[in-house]
Amino acid sequence: MDSFAHTKVAILGAGRGGRALLDLLHQIPSIEIVGIADRDPDAPGLQRAREFRIPVTSDAPTLIGAQGVSLIMDVTGDPAMETYLRAHKPPATDILSGSASRLLWELVQHESKLEAELLQAEKLAGIGSFAAGIAHDINNPLQLIMGLAENLAEERNLASVHEQAKDILEAVKRTSAICRDLTRYSRRASPHEDVLVSVNGKLDEALKIARYASSFHDVEMIKDYEPGAAVKGNPDELLHVFVNLITNAVHAMEQVGGTLTLQTQTLDDQVHIRISDTGYGIAQDKIPEIFEPFFTTKAPGKGTGLGLYNVKTIVNKMQGMITVDSTIDQGATFTVTFPRALSAEQGCPS
Amino acid sequence: MSEFKSGFFISGEACNGRVLIVDDEPDIRKVVRMTLQKAGYEVLEAENGEKAIETINSGENRLLLDVVICDIRMPKINGVEAIAYFRSNYPHVPLIVLTGFPDTDMAASFLRQGVVDYLVKPVEGEKLRSAVARAMEQRELARL
Repeated sequence: MDSFAHTKVAILGAGRGGRALLDLLHQIPSIEIVGIADRDPDAPGLQRAREFRIPVTSDAPTLIGAQGVSLIMDVTGDPAMETYLRAHKPPATDILSGSASRLLWELVQHESKLEAELLQAEKLAGIGSFAAGIAHDINNPLQLIMGLAENLAEERNLASVHEQAKDILEAVKRTSAICRDLTRYSRRASPHEDVLVSVNGKLDEALKIARYASSFHDVEMIKDYEPGAAVKGNPDELLHVFVNLITNAVHAMEQVGGTLTLQTQTLDDQVHIRISDTGYGIAQDKIPEIFEPFFTTKAPGKGTGLGLYNVKTIVNKMQGMITVDSTIDQGATFTVTFPRALSAEQGCPS
Repeated sequence: MSEFKSGFFISGEACNGRVLIVDDEPDIRKVVRMTLQKAGYEVLEAENGEKAIETINSGENRLLLDVVICDIRMPKINGVEAIAYFRSNYPHVPLIVLTGFPDTDMAASFLRQGVVDYLVKPVEGEKLRSAVARAMEQRELARL
């Protein structure tokens, strides 16, 4: 696609608006962000730009005067800046400022709101399929509790009474853990800033949730985790990515059984997460379609067709990549690659 | 043993019948055993459909097993498959489904297949015992 000239964009203002623009434009291959300027060295957009390895500066006039910039986007909200821009920009450079840039910022905000809604809708639709798994996991401990309680009413042996009371407490804890895990998963992804997330911890959390969505009977598990693997991102969204990929993997092995392998690996500043199954696989010609919205192989009413679409959206947002390798009847491996987050040894809050 | 009916004796004790509980959860097998032993039944356990089929096919169980209580969601051979096997190979052995997931369609289909009862966990001990007692009556009739 080199025949397309890249659109070279400079951004003025690195507050919330500047950062949102950066996040959006960074994902578009035909756009090259040549620099971002803000007087405040701690502005959130500057921090983000450093992560993306985009030049940052506090010197707006130099960025404005630079040759070869196709478009300057001014999101400073400063009327004086607009006047300065018009007077000093090179003749070939276009300007987006004032109410036009305000409108763009609102569209960006709107899109990110829609994206969050879509994610939540898909998640809630998926939870419908958890019913059988949840019923199983709640009613089993309830049966134990009922049986023991009935027995306790007649039990004469004090040691046995203690033993059974302890079993009841354990069963109650197990049941309440189910509700805790599920409410944590079903809540809207909290919009907090990106944090350091332990990849292994999130995979384990996702496994617990995925067990409700699919039967792990006859599925052998292999975990090959690199200790301390960490990425930066929204922990709720990352959980959603893993739940989706693990659920798909286990569904692909339904009826026949197989092996689910979860692997994490840090290589050259990147964290690779591989989720592999030995199920029925994906036909080569279908692979480009699976990340499209509304693509599904499930029966009507069984899947939204938004699972992998949302996965890809989240992965892109986290500056990651997702690839698939599959052979029919042998299985599939989904590899998610993220930039490695530093200081992985400590301070993984989520 | 007040509930002793037409039972036989195992190791010197009155036995109202031999019941097999098939469930992958050890906790469930434990409470079912506890509940039924009190009513004088001998209880055998199997952790999945495969083990259940092995159990019913081994030695005197072929003749002496009276009732099977079976879960649905299990590894290896699941409840649906195990029940189909029992119905076709041991049609005289009454079956009770004990499941964690209430599913009306599934319940109707099992009852059509001649399953004595479809019980949803958690089930009271009394209800379980009376379901087993009903199943035992069927078993007695089949013996006539």
